[in-house]
Amino acid sequence: MLARRADIVGLGALAVSASCLVALGTGWFQGTLNALVVLLLLIVVVGVLVLAAFGGPEARRLLAPYGLMKPGLLWMALFFLAPVWSLVRISLSTKESRFSVRYEFNWAWENYSRAFSDFGGQFQRAFLYSFIATILTIVIGYPIAYVIAFRGGRFKNFLLGLVVIPFFTSYLIRTIAWSTILADQGPLVSVLNKLGLVNVFEWLHIMDNGKLLNTPAAVIGGLTYNFLPFMLLPIYVSLEKIDQNLVNAAKDLYSTPTVAFRKVVLPLSIPGVFAGTLLTFIPAAGDFVNAQFLGNPNTTMIGNSIQDQFLRQNNYPVASAMSTVLMVSITALVLLYTKFFGTEKLV
Amino acid sequence: MNKRHKTSRTPTNPWTRREFLIRSGALGVAGISLPALLAACGGGGGGSNALLFDNWPLYIDPSEDGLVGSVERFAAASGVDMSYVESYNDNDEYFAKIQPLLGADKRIEPDLIAPTFWMAGRLINLGWVDKLPLDKVPNKSNLEDNYVKPPWDPTGEYSLPWQAGTAGIAYNIDVTGRELKSTSELFDPAFKGKIGMLTEMRDTMGLILMSEGIDITTISSFEEAASAFEILERAKADGQIRAFTGNDYIDDLVSGNYAACVGWSGDVLQLGKDSPNIRFVVPEEGGTLWADVMVMPKGTENTDAVAKWLDFVYDPEQAAQITSYVQYFSPVKGVQEEVAKIDPELAENPLVFPDSATASRLKSWANLSEDVDAQFADAFSAIIGA
Repeated sequence: MLARRADIVGLGALAVSASCLVALGTGWFQGTLNALVVLLLLIVVVGVLVLAAFGGPEARRLLAPYGLMKPGLLWMALFFLAPVWSLVRISLSTKESRFSVRYEFNWAWENYSRAFSDFGGQFQRAFLYSFIATILTIVIGYPIAYVIAFRGGRFKNFLLGLVVIPFFTSYLIRTIAWSTILADQGPLVSVLNKLGLVNVFEWLHIMDNGKLLNTPAAVIGGLTYNFLPFMLLPIYVSLEKIDQNLVNAAKDLYSTPTVAFRKVVLPLSIPGVFAGTLLTFIPAAGDFVNAQFLGNPNTTMIGNSIQDQFLRQNNYPVASAMSTVLMVSITALVLLYTKFFGTEKLV
Repeated sequence: MNKRHKTSRTPTNPWTRREFLIRSGALGVAGISLPALLAACGGGGGGSNALLFDNWPLYIDPSEDGLVGSVERFAAASGVDMSYVESYNDNDEYFAKIQPLLGADKRIEPDLIAPTFWMAGRLINLGWVDKLPLDKVPNKSNLEDNYVKPPWDPTGEYSLPWQAGTAGIAYNIDVTGRELKSTSELFDPAFKGKIGMLTEMRDTMGLILMSEGIDITTISSFEEAASAFEILERAKADGQIRAFTGNDYIDDLVSGNYAACVGWSGDVLQLGKDSPNIRFVVPEEGGTLWADVMVMPKGTENTDAVAKWLDFVYDPEQAAQITSYVQYFSPVKGVQEEVAKIDPELAENPLVFPDSATASRLKSWANLSEDVDAQFADAFSAIIGA
């Protein structure tokens, strides 16, 4: 009987073992109960293996898909579901006292209102800066990717290497290096001073009171620089795949180069832009390194606040609430974005 | 000896290291001590001859250049099996580590730690430290008078200072174009966007409070400090303040990004040699005096060894060895005379041995009650914007 309904057994085993891992990961049970959960997990896993070994070919065929899903799903249960569950739970808890490490779950929605009221500015800046940085990476990255893909010739790999090589250095070191380049008595500011361009830059709000470093422009610039390859490479891949004959065909049909680009190349490269946007915007919105090293106290982003609340203020509930809000709002933005561009275009 | 002085890596401010570590994401350092802390400690009774001192990094004279460091000298002289570890990188981080154990009436492994005075005050308030075996420390009489029964330890039974220092104004005279004397000059519009402040609340707020004529030695409620917080808030909103940092203020000061900032005496002492344009002044309104103090975590058993160590480092001759290396204020009487024998120049430096004019301007914080401390910390973290 068991062997005939192996698919049901497989599904059940999958659900039970995933729940066991979530329970273990979040620490729902203590002591003996915890040991029982581990035991149950082992029994289920071993049971399925035994069934597969002795159930005959038909049972194995029915079990296979669930067995193949197991590593991925169990991984997600332990390292995604359990942490998210804990995060959300702590975000609705209250610390018993200031120096307590115990959190009492009591639907403390005030953590969320504090996240918004105290850190609303940081949320806004995080989304605004990462949005501008994403647009800038498209503006800078697209032409470079275009040139490499269509005009690179035998230098293609070399040029791609030039894009990637700086990123062999640590993220942190590159960002700190920018703070030296942009310094008040650094090379860039003194060149601008000599050229008399400081007033122009001030007017453009790129410089503030003669400073390049520690301005919003520096933070956005740092984000743009750091995430450029994540935009450039997917765009390059989608451009690279375009058949040159399509462009030639458009030209044969009396398209100008501009029209050929707009009607053929651009639409075919949109999936690359879409993927690049996700790879750029999502991490940029949660970034705290650029704001820390290149910003000032009025340009902090939500990542800075979360880090500070977790590691310095020891205020896990509010920090968790902020993290949850950040995750939910990014998910919502991505869903909206997907509705317009569609994952089916992600070739 | 002069050679050693010049090549020393000091003075290293303990608070600064934390900032560096946090900023560089190297929190892994915490891992060094965590297993040690979690390990249960059997230990012997008061007669056990072992001692574990967990201190800030680079905060003692090591054995190098043919000189024998204090730890080795102590071990040889007393026969105590001394272990000296440097895993105390950050007050809050360390607190977060020991909290689950001490809060649950379990003991931690180190017999002695050196938190900053306000953290020591918190530990004393929470009852997480034991009284020091001072009756077995004859040299305790060498404690400088201004550290006797200090605000963070009103009975003086729980702590003895390790080293002390001051926060004042550090400035780059090439950028300011003039000498600075007062904290209020940090808010001069001419320096807009070129002023740095420390993330250490008591140093930054201490200077501002004193410039407002508020006595930090007696402050007991947040309301008294509200006007000073408003000043900081306004300066931040106006863009007067370029950044709130830890030790990285040094780089910004030298590179000219800062005209002036709140800084620590020891750092500037070191910089002064190579960069004569970097100056330090204890503001005329007053500078903060801080101390890192030795306390015994609750349940320490090796009290005899602790007593021997305290007696050893409160011997002026031994303390002078430490001072000539770390170059902070020594809390031990008679050190100046001993340092003069080793390094006469250092003994005359008012930033290591403050003269009476300087000393009278140094103020240390009152021990804030837990609620008030929380109010200060929250208000400060809200302003520094992280």
